[in-house]
Amino acid sequence: MKVAVAYKWAVNPRDVVVNSDGVADRSQAAAAMSDYDPVAVAVGCALAGGAQGEVVGISVGDGSVGSSLAKKGAMSRGLDRAIVVADDATADWNSTQVAQALAELVDRDGGVKVVVTGAASVDEAAGVVPGLIGGYLGWPCFADVRAVQSIGDGYRIRQATSGGVRVVDVNGPAVISVTSDALVPPVPGMKEILAAGRKPMEVLAASDLSITARDVKAVAFRRPEVKARGRRLFEGDGAVSQLVGALRSDGILE
Amino acid sequence: MCTYSRGPATAWVIAVDDHVASLVELARQAAESVTVVAVGWPGPVADGVDRVVSVRAPEDVPLEVLAPVVTKAMTVGESDVVIAGNQPAARSLAGAIAASIDAPLLHDAQSLSLAEADVECYAGASVASVAFNRPIVVVADGGNAVAARGPAEEPEEGESREGMSYGATVIDFEAADEPPVDLRSAKRVVSVGRGLKEKEDLALAQELARALKAELACSRPLAEGRNWLPRDRYVGVSGQKVASQLYMAIGISGQLQHMIGVRGAGTIVAINSDPASPIFQECDYGIVGDLQQVVPALTAAVK
Repeated sequence: MKVAVAYKWAVNPRDVVVNSDGVADRSQAAAAMSDYDPVAVAVGCALAGGAQGEVVGISVGDGSVGSSLAKKGAMSRGLDRAIVVADDATADWNSTQVAQALAELVDRDGGVKVVVTGAASVDEAAGVVPGLIGGYLGWPCFADVRAVQSIGDGYRIRQATSGGVRVVDVNGPAVISVTSDALVPPVPGMKEILAAGRKPMEVLAASDLSITARDVKAVAFRRPEVKARGRRLFEGDGAVSQLVGALRSDGILE
Repeated sequence: MCTYSRGPATAWVIAVDDHVASLVELARQAAESVTVVAVGWPGPVADGVDRVVSVRAPEDVPLEVLAPVVTKAMTVGESDVVIAGNQPAARSLAGAIAASIDAPLLHDAQSLSLAEADVECYAGASVASVAFNRPIVVVADGGNAVAARGPAEEPEEGESREGMSYGATVIDFEAADEPPVDLRSAKRVVSVGRGLKEKEDLALAQELARALKAELACSRPLAEGRNWLPRDRYVGVSGQKVASQLYMAIGISGQLQHMIGVRGAGTIVAINSDPASPIFQECDYGIVGDLQQVVPALTAAVK
């Protein structure tokens, strides 16, 4: 079965320096495969099954997505092939535009039966792209999926919901966003990294696709209003009683 | 497929349950008229709601597959806004609606006007003011629950699911050991992180929580991965956001993706053995020490 796994080559916000005007400096931040995407690849590989299966990586980002480093970083996770849009013109794309592009990559490749994504991207953590991909493909999107198996033309998914786990049988293609702990992904060794360089990755430009989704433009930045914190530290033997004393005099504790 | 129309602006609230108070509030700010599309329930009794469309979910059908029915029930105008809740099913529906009208989808917009919104970037490190042309879709936390309409108040019925090409069936539900927890309304929270080495340490934190009459919460790794606590106790960028009077962070280093869920707390207390932990920059009070000593001592002192 052919499985597509949508992944993102992204920076971790922890490595981004935001100045007092709210403007972000990403120059010291190294992009990598978004933290939870290797889990999606592992799930995709398990779903695709054996020699008959195929796992295709799809991604949209700036020019670095097509770089040798990014290719090895992604392909070493277990993908068989990848088809990506690596174009600086996508830097301002919003989630709808990215999702439309990813859906177009799925359609272009043909024969994909399921799209698997990670829980949310490490840089935006919005968790909206999977639903948008589903919208453009006309497929339902299930999020917070802890486990998925293929049954006939569809899937049996175990979904984490408030209050428990729901088991759903879907009788057709779907977009499935998996939890961060759905599977423990294998750590790529030297063998996987070397093989990764030889796997095919098709690199497209933004102009190769027809994106009708509308723009969003960032016009200003600022730091968020964050409450100033006291940062008072208590030390030594009396630390606990001093802390409790402070909380009592603040009226937080009786 | 949503169709377009001209005319006064409507804010469409897409609600998969009765937690809609904040969505209705946002909708009233965003447009002259508010329509709630209640998916899988009768819809709200709420001031400020002009119209309710209820999309019935056949039994055992997960709401995610109703996307085509929901989009068909809506005629989205050029100046309209669609506001969906943050639950997984609502986000799926929001995505389907946005795709059908090629609309931008904003997550957690802090403010929303005719053509601008403020959104957080980089796990809350920065706020961007963004400009767009309506119609747009926004996903936001639903807020408090409101009363649902009873059977006597007939909402408009959206088309039912019958006749759709393929479907899905909920075949089982395995209830969790404890009922779901809403950390948003907790007055006090005791939260644990990776600094807890043994599962036995959790008992120390639970004792403290009991003594403080606090809810227990955690950072992401303890809920996903270690599975020491259920997911609805996870505080962070993809989890719950607290607004408690007191938040005690035990063995939590204070990474950005966790602290974005904590910033709404009144007083933050940090207990951590590593003085270099970022959390000491964002707390009101802190103790550098071994939690196995500090936590039981704290429990005794507050009793």
